[in-house]
Amino acid sequence: MPDSAALACPVRLPSQRGRTERRLILVFSVIALALAAAGPLLLDTYSISILIRSFLYGAIAVTVDILWGFTGILSFGQAAFFGIGAYALGLSVTQYDFTAPIVTAALIGGPLVAAAAAGLVAWLGFGPKVTPLYISVITLVLSVIFVQMIYSGGDFTGSSSGLSNFDTFDISMEGWFRVAGVFLVAVTAAGWIFVRSDFGRLLVAIRENEQRCRYCGINTARVKTLLLIGSAIITALAGFAYAGYNDVIAPDLGNFQFGTQLVIWVALGGRGTLIGPAVAAVLIDFISAWLSGSLPFIWQLIIGLVFIVVIVLLPQGLGPAVANLFRRGRTRPVAARLAPLPDADAAGSGALPAIQVESVSRNYGSLHVLQDVTFTAGAGELVSLVGPNGAGKTTLIRCLSDGQERSSGRVAIEGNPIGRLAPEACVRFGLGRKFQTPNVFDALTVAESLRIARSRQERLSFVRTADEVRLPAAAMRVVQATGLSSQLGTTVKHLSHGAKQALELAMVLAMEPRVLLLDEPTAGLTKSERSLIGEVLVELVRAHGLCILLIEHDLEFVREISSRIIVLHQGSIVMDGTVEEVTNSELVHTIYAGEPHAVAA
Amino acid sequence: MAILLLDIITTASILFVVAAGLLIVFGVLKIINFAHGGFLTIGGYAALVTTQLHWNPWMALPVALLAGLVLGAFVERLVVRPLYARPLDAILATWGLSIVMVQMITIAFGRGTNFVESPVQGAIPIAGDTYSLYRLIMLGVAIILGAIMIGILQGTRLGLTARAVIMNENLSRSLGINSGLVRFATFSIGSGLAALAGALITPLLSVDPLMGVPWLLNAFMLVMVSGTSLISLGAACLVLGGAQVAISTYSSPVLGALSIMVLAAVLLRIRPAGFARA
Repeated sequence: MPDSAALACPVRLPSQRGRTERRLILVFSVIALALAAAGPLLLDTYSISILIRSFLYGAIAVTVDILWGFTGILSFGQAAFFGIGAYALGLSVTQYDFTAPIVTAALIGGPLVAAAAAGLVAWLGFGPKVTPLYISVITLVLSVIFVQMIYSGGDFTGSSSGLSNFDTFDISMEGWFRVAGVFLVAVTAAGWIFVRSDFGRLLVAIRENEQRCRYCGINTARVKTLLLIGSAIITALAGFAYAGYNDVIAPDLGNFQFGTQLVIWVALGGRGTLIGPAVAAVLIDFISAWLSGSLPFIWQLIIGLVFIVVIVLLPQGLGPAVANLFRRGRTRPVAARLAPLPDADAAGSGALPAIQVESVSRNYGSLHVLQDVTFTAGAGELVSLVGPNGAGKTTLIRCLSDGQERSSGRVAIEGNPIGRLAPEACVRFGLGRKFQTPNVFDALTVAESLRIARSRQERLSFVRTADEVRLPAAAMRVVQATGLSSQLGTTVKHLSHGAKQALELAMVLAMEPRVLLLDEPTAGLTKSERSLIGEVLVELVRAHGLCILLIEHDLEFVREISSRIIVLHQGSIVMDGTVEEVTNSELVHTIYAGEPHAVAA
Repeated sequence: MAILLLDIITTASILFVVAAGLLIVFGVLKIINFAHGGFLTIGGYAALVTTQLHWNPWMALPVALLAGLVLGAFVERLVVRPLYARPLDAILATWGLSIVMVQMITIAFGRGTNFVESPVQGAIPIAGDTYSLYRLIMLGVAIILGAIMIGILQGTRLGLTARAVIMNENLSRSLGINSGLVRFATFSIGSGLAALAGALITPLLSVDPLMGVPWLLNAFMLVMVSGTSLISLGAACLVLGGAQVAISTYSSPVLGALSIMVLAAVLLRIRPAGFARA
């Protein structure tokens, strides 16, 4: 049945699109390189000298776009990395001589220092519990520190007047033009391949929903740290080239204003488009240089005004707006094929309880949300957690999947104490968590989301996009039965609420968890979808020996599928027994009805 | 020692006056107004115009406040309102705005540094030493400003609705509070306070188109560590401003200039709530 829907809107495979795009990149790169080679013959000296700088800025804009446009890290610190690269050369040459070993040391040392600074910034900015704004704060501080250090360096750094007329490379202006051109083309082409790869989609996933990524077992802080370090190295190399060509460097290179200028160029060119920011940086810097003589302040004023208008009215930037004018028709959606995985061994270890909870409490100040909760659940059990609103059900799930959440007590998953571990580490013990409201990646397609969920089992490529998403049987069943299999190329934000619920469940199942924590997995689903999910869950427990902890309000559904029920009331377990025991209990009726008289009546 | 203490207290006062407007905008609108430095610069130039017109130097304050209020009102309508749902974009758009303001000021007044006439001159003897009277006045201004703002927040209807919006905007709206109006008023007042602060600090410093940037960065960091509470802001200004004065005095002014930013950044890493109660 799904196939007919798929036929109506033929879906291309990622490798097909990849081939077309690669050919395109190759053609563009060759043209760009030819222009870089021919440029000096066509342009006047002034234009050439300006464009060398503009090309370097274009390459930095690409790194800013990968950080901000794709991954959502707004960094004002690229300027500092640029300055570090530039001063590495300037300082080495003025302090020592212009010899091959010294220059090589600067070429390696500058990017290394920038990488170390980026690592420090990332350690501060991507720590647990910090707000997303914090990385912007800390990169901004980095720029200010850089400038102050240069100012206070006296004769060593040249203070506010900077360093000039140091010995530098004996390369002609035309030569530098080609070097900078090749650098820009290489960074852009490599960046393009990177962001279109499977790993590149992970960057978007982190931007869209970092929490979900972490619950897919991905160490997002490490990904972001490596990304920032990579961008720092590229930017410092650009700074090195700038100093080598320009022979004049000043503290301004690393200041906060230059950092924001880069962000402005990226926003104007179109964040998340890579080419747009590169083009915008080159064009705006080039035009600025031409106009700086005749109308310097007016030009800055215009840039500022256009920037405001673009941010307010065209958040996607000018690049995509222009591109849309020329785009005809709809592009065909792209999605990978589904492929079944052979059934994994059903054998759960069985020796250790799947979930072990010992006197877990959670307080918010004097408010006790959970008090002394103790229970264990083994492989092959489907335990339902019931209780009125505010009983602490979701809080309990949170305490099981994030070591930072509980105030006291011990939790072990498959015999592994979770201590104070982050969600991504807990997930590695075999945990899977489905949230109460659909927690998915709005900007990704269904197929891409499933692949991100599988990324721990199958590494994401940095250059390629795979044609297959391999799913274990349970995930496959959910995907096929809910019709998601015919919507593999659909962007998740266009899915219905129920389809998003199903997708999140499929993503969790795709991780092949041993312990499943499900917070109202069927809310918003139709009756038939709901019974299908019930079947899948029962089968996972019976045939594959999973342990499932389920929060549900629908007692009928709970009765049908559970092997055991735990009743939570005001933060404590008031009952833990078989389905019959709980459903026949007077106490449970009392709790649900609110007051004893209601039961009597 | 007495002088050092006075320096700490008056520096904290100046920081408080500069950061207060940014804090209330952040509290109510949940956005960082990066045009805060631009409004501050406008206040500085309002004082300069007052001096050039040979008006009474005290006139600089109402002129600056009015300029900030009116400009802030326009900016809220045109730029900030569409960006409530996109706080990071609001930072960028307001930064663009401050670029526009700085360029317009540069076109009108040139790039040079100017000086403004101080409304009061001289120093008064304290503990066997003398101390700048104007800096002491700034202490009084900070206390009065803080008292007025807390009074408005705690004692008036506008303050009550503003606090409701700070705590839970959706609920406030469903209770019939016109949160759009609250935001409009808050942004306008925040901008007015920034311009007022600009006029207040200029007798101590010089006026140039880029004067707002360092103040913006320090105020931004102070607000980051204070959350939405004026009391926390006062504490942050005293502690971090105090550190700045102490480090500038005993170590180097360069390190002193960095101290607020660096200490705030480290504090936020250790304790994300900063000076606010977690």
